[in-house]
Amino acid sequence: MTPATRWTSWTAPVVTLAAALIAWELVVDLFAVPEYLLPPPTGVARAMAAEWRYLLFHTWVTTKEILLGFALAVLVGIPTAVAIVSSPTLERAIYPLLVASQSVPKIAIAPLLIFWAGIGTLPKVLVAFLISFFPIIIDTVVGLRSVEPEMLHLARSMGAGERRIFVKIRFPSALPNIFAGLKVAVTLAVVGAIVGEFIQADQGLGYALLQANAVLNTKLGFAAIIVLAALGVVMFVIVDVIERRLIPWHVSHRSDLIVGTP
Amino acid sequence: MEYNAPFPAMLSVQKFVEVSDITRIFPTPEGEVRALDGISFDVRGGEFLSIVGPSGCGKSTLVMLIAGLMRPTSGVIAVDGRAVSRPQTALGIVFQNAVLLAWRSALDNVLLQVEMRGLAARQYRDRAMELLRSVGLDGFERRLPHELSGGMRQRVAICRALIHDPPLLLMDEPFGALDALTRDQMTLDIQGICARGGKTVLFITHSITEAVFLSDRVIVMTPRPGRIDTTIDVDLPRPRRLAVRESSAFAAYAREIRDRFLARGVLRDIEEPA
Repeated sequence: MTPATRWTSWTAPVVTLAAALIAWELVVDLFAVPEYLLPPPTGVARAMAAEWRYLLFHTWVTTKEILLGFALAVLVGIPTAVAIVSSPTLERAIYPLLVASQSVPKIAIAPLLIFWAGIGTLPKVLVAFLISFFPIIIDTVVGLRSVEPEMLHLARSMGAGERRIFVKIRFPSALPNIFAGLKVAVTLAVVGAIVGEFIQADQGLGYALLQANAVLNTKLGFAAIIVLAALGVVMFVIVDVIERRLIPWHVSHRSDLIVGTP
Repeated sequence: MEYNAPFPAMLSVQKFVEVSDITRIFPTPEGEVRALDGISFDVRGGEFLSIVGPSGCGKSTLVMLIAGLMRPTSGVIAVDGRAVSRPQTALGIVFQNAVLLAWRSALDNVLLQVEMRGLAARQYRDRAMELLRSVGLDGFERRLPHELSGGMRQRVAICRALIHDPPLLLMDEPFGALDALTRDQMTLDIQGICARGGKTVLFITHSITEAVFLSDRVIVMTPRPGRIDTTIDVDLPRPRRLAVRESSAFAAYAREIRDRFLARGVLRDIEEPA
């Protein structure tokens, strides 16, 4: 990236955001919108500053749920994808069910999970897992199958067995796709954790949001939403940074939609 | 290991590759496609043999069959006296595309060949550097494939096919994706490499010029289903310089091949002026 494109890639969204915030503030001011309906950005900022300890505690709770759910999705998703790719029988046995399972709304089974897994962290982790493992499987399968057939011909002419081909060729080739899946999955894991907290929780940002709404503390509700959005962005950026470290050969010559670290 | 076997004695007379009555049929939704139809030929040890033919005449299929990466519908192939029934390892293959691993440097792509064989890459490092140097890639050993030009990538692929010093080299239109100047240089490079190593080479190409320039013998194929039209012995002194292409002897060989293509309708010349 040249300095010029880096400048515009950061500046444009920042300017847009600033303009939106100013417009928001002016509209609230101009029409004297009651604070419980729509608080001004400055009000939200004040609430955030005043309640930072409270927000931090609930952010930590939700972060734990997201990370555990996401980790579980990775630990289940990638090996499942490897199994699907390595055995046509397993593929026939698993794949259609997996796809079908995706038409079941996760939100609909969340109450059942509470019923089965009790209250506490576990059911939220499970919802986060259920909602995020699918893209990991799909993208990993696509990646593992993306190796050029000629590369596999060469590998066989080198006398390599399937294991060595997997370690040296298939898996590294799949990493770009795997990371694409991980990025989608980590944002979905955030959604999953909040959905879980909406169903039943006594802590976490989803809980904080519901509590604030219940007492018409809209400022605090907005503050929770902003923290939540920031949390999602941070999770995404962490995956992005790991990707850049792990597969610079891919990152350096793809065109990126997302503004990442230079 | 197999490819380290003593160099076959009496190379110039021995049939190193024997292709006997090979037919290969591909099932497709529109019915069976007969890619090769009763092909027989030999490649003598140390010989440079080219196969020229139109697209779809089964040239690439032949490479896959000899490498043991595909089974013939009927017929037998033997390499170094042994029938081919599974992927052959005592050879090097170069395809039209370099097919390098994007995360490996030029050097590490060359060393993939030895790593995949379970050999210590360390011991082959010097030889890999030397090979890269011999094709003009010194200074580029650490570059990743996307930092190299198409011609450079193909050179890396050729080094990868040579690092384990195989007795047999299969090349399937290795210069097909390169520009004309690079092709000329690569043609010279290949001649040098093959002359040094005493390798048996099967070279697949569309290019009549390349085939005549490089080969001891040229097999001309018919359009699908691929059959052998004719075999031409190229008796030009070696090493051959680029200028040999303007010689009358060279032109005569090229014309002989072109006439086969004209006769088969692979090429259609314009009508002679009245």
